[in-house]
Amino acid sequence: MVATVTGENSLVTFLRWIYAGIDRTIFMGLKFTFPGRFVSPLGFLGMITFVLFIILGITGALLMLWYEPELDRAWNSVQNINNTIPYGFHIRNIHYHASNAMVMVALLHMYYQYFSGRYKIRNEIIWVTGVIIGVLTILEAFTGYDIIFSERAELAISIAASLTNSIPVLGPQLRDAFFGGGFHDFVLRFYAFHVFFLPIALLGLMVVHFPRFLVFDVPMVMAVAGAIMITGGVFPIDLGTKFVPTSPPGITVPEWYLTGLYAFLRTQYDKFVTGVAWPGLLILTLLVMPFVDRYRKFSWKDRPLVTAIGITSIAQIMVTTYWGFYIDPNIQKSLLERLVIDPIFFYSVMLMLVPLSFGFTYMMIKLAKNAEVKAKLQPKKPSGKSSINIPENWIYIVFVALLAFQIYLNIAAYYAVLSGMKNFSLFIVGIIMLVFAGMFHIYRHAKTMAKTPPPPPKPMAPPAGAKPVPSAPSPIPAGLPGTSTSGKPLSPPPASKSAPTATQGPAHETTSTKPVSSGTANIAGATNEGRSQKTPSSVETSTPDPAGDLNGNVRDTKKIR
Amino acid sequence: MAQQSPPNSGRKVSRRDFLKLMTAAGTVMTFIPFVDWGKFLPNPAGNISAKAKLELPDGSQANIKTFPVNHAETVIYPKTNDQTLNKESFRLWQFIRLPPELGGNRNDVSAFRMYSQICLHLWCLWKYWPDPGRKRGECPCHGSMYDPINGKAFAGPASLQSPPSNVLPMLNLETDGNGNIWILPPIWSPNANGIVGFGRFLKV
Repeated sequence: MVATVTGENSLVTFLRWIYAGIDRTIFMGLKFTFPGRFVSPLGFLGMITFVLFIILGITGALLMLWYEPELDRAWNSVQNINNTIPYGFHIRNIHYHASNAMVMVALLHMYYQYFSGRYKIRNEIIWVTGVIIGVLTILEAFTGYDIIFSERAELAISIAASLTNSIPVLGPQLRDAFFGGGFHDFVLRFYAFHVFFLPIALLGLMVVHFPRFLVFDVPMVMAVAGAIMITGGVFPIDLGTKFVPTSPPGITVPEWYLTGLYAFLRTQYDKFVTGVAWPGLLILTLLVMPFVDRYRKFSWKDRPLVTAIGITSIAQIMVTTYWGFYIDPNIQKSLLERLVIDPIFFYSVMLMLVPLSFGFTYMMIKLAKNAEVKAKLQPKKPSGKSSINIPENWIYIVFVALLAFQIYLNIAAYYAVLSGMKNFSLFIVGIIMLVFAGMFHIYRHAKTMAKTPPPPPKPMAPPAGAKPVPSAPSPIPAGLPGTSTSGKPLSPPPASKSAPTATQGPAHETTSTKPVSSGTANIAGATNEGRSQKTPSSVETSTPDPAGDLNGNVRDTKKIR
Repeated sequence: MAQQSPPNSGRKVSRRDFLKLMTAAGTVMTFIPFVDWGKFLPNPAGNISAKAKLELPDGSQANIKTFPVNHAETVIYPKTNDQTLNKESFRLWQFIRLPPELGGNRNDVSAFRMYSQICLHLWCLWKYWPDPGRKRGECPCHGSMYDPINGKAFAGPASLQSPPSNVLPMLNLETDGNGNIWILPPIWSPNANGIVGFGRFLKV
């Protein structure tokens, strides 16, 4: 087709046609936000988890080409990937470290949503599916490190099978169904679960789990990917020892997300109680939390009991995770003596953590509230934010310098691969990703700065950051913007920038601390609507909340708006 | 539904309710055959209905007359033609002729024991040690020890596990007129021969 008067050629017409077609699909129901400036990653940890899932899917699919899920070949094939296949080392390390990162980020995501109270008010489905996704993610990671079939994997498989077997009534049947009979079946089935059953279940649940507003932050995603590669370069994952059933294995502990469970098992108590019931209790608590949490506020400070339960769970998870790693280094003692944890000691510590965490939480809430009151009483201090004002030409220089650095790094990575320094090349690729993240950030920064009008020239500009009252942005618009001098900074002075945040800041804690992108602001609006609809009915049901709390809540709602 | 039926006919079922009931019953009947499809998941290799030769590593059948007292061999059961599957720990068994003080001199099957070689603790392969003073099954990994007379763990981590995870699975044996030893078809249940890798309830 010839280009028309409007400048549309056939390609543009085709793309428009595709776009119109996609408009009919579910994808247009999602609202993607590409933040125009740096926002805290806490708000979009879920998106990072999903990106990690995609990274894992791609690298995992590549590993599938070489991995052989067979009893006596599994470990050898992983060794082949690691040592012989070009870039097999890289792919495997990215896969391994991304799996750890995914579990970690998913946990952080969950606790952030937990403490900010986001699971309430019509977000219950998202929360419940999220908890299930979290459990499946751990199972996915678990089946992944089992199919290497090293010594550690074998121990993990045997523990998992005996735990499944210990479930009352249905346990043996479940074990027979999901594990089959013998190592040969285990490896093959774990492989099937790892590459198909669990990922497909995760994808299905993710469709339900996705909120309508999504934030995709390119620099942060790049930084996370880079961090994974750097970790892979510095701590390349080893193969472990091939499992030989006749030779005694070294002492191995499972992956860090399972050492908590391992510590429980090491008390040598009943397998079902320690290995299934306790973790099941944690998962169940998380599942029912939005329905138990009757506080009508969102901030962690206003929900002391829920916050305390969350802090308790974190404390117990951290202690048990560490305890699972700890093995008495005294080799004079027998192995059993070194491994077994005294159950009385263990459980009393677990119990002791409950009042400690509660006390800590209530103390922190009190301190935070005191600080809030004090901040209200005292005159407003200028915000601690100081913007970096880089002249325009320096931004170009930095940009070009980063590009040159990237070229250098590319060459370095290439030579590292050529000379067989696998982990060093992986490390450098990680640095390249980080540099790209920085470049993108600068690009984005410059773009937004270019859009903002240049600041009006002031007769006597006081030094930046020393302004007493930031809420008065440039009272006199003196002079035309075009008449400003040549040495114009790209960013406006901090006064005009901090003004909008100051007006809506202290009304609500979560909105002031978290990044306010358009998507999250919309969510906050929607949740408040849902809450105000709900309040009359909840007054009738007469929950034991005092009326003052309710009033405060209504006031709070108004303030946000 | 209840209010739609005529009020005075307490016993009668309305046509609508009857059809609903039939539909529900039809749905159940449609899916009932699929219940048995759950057998797709467990491995059927363990279902053995005929007695099998007790084949020693050298390929000969074990015989009461020739097998030495206080001695053990590793036997693959059920044996396949697949070398990979034969390496499977879950198919390995310790075939023991007891020491004399435990009745190993008798010329019937009561002198023999056949236990799963998988340690109940973490699935290493234990072994029978005939040395004087030992005469027990020992696991090289974490030091679990097994009593050859009934397969019960008496020391080490396996002994700390609750029943049935502290007694080794066992196969029942039989002899024919020539003294050849046969393995009887097992029932894989904790109350019978036990479950390999998970244990057996010891009958008192």
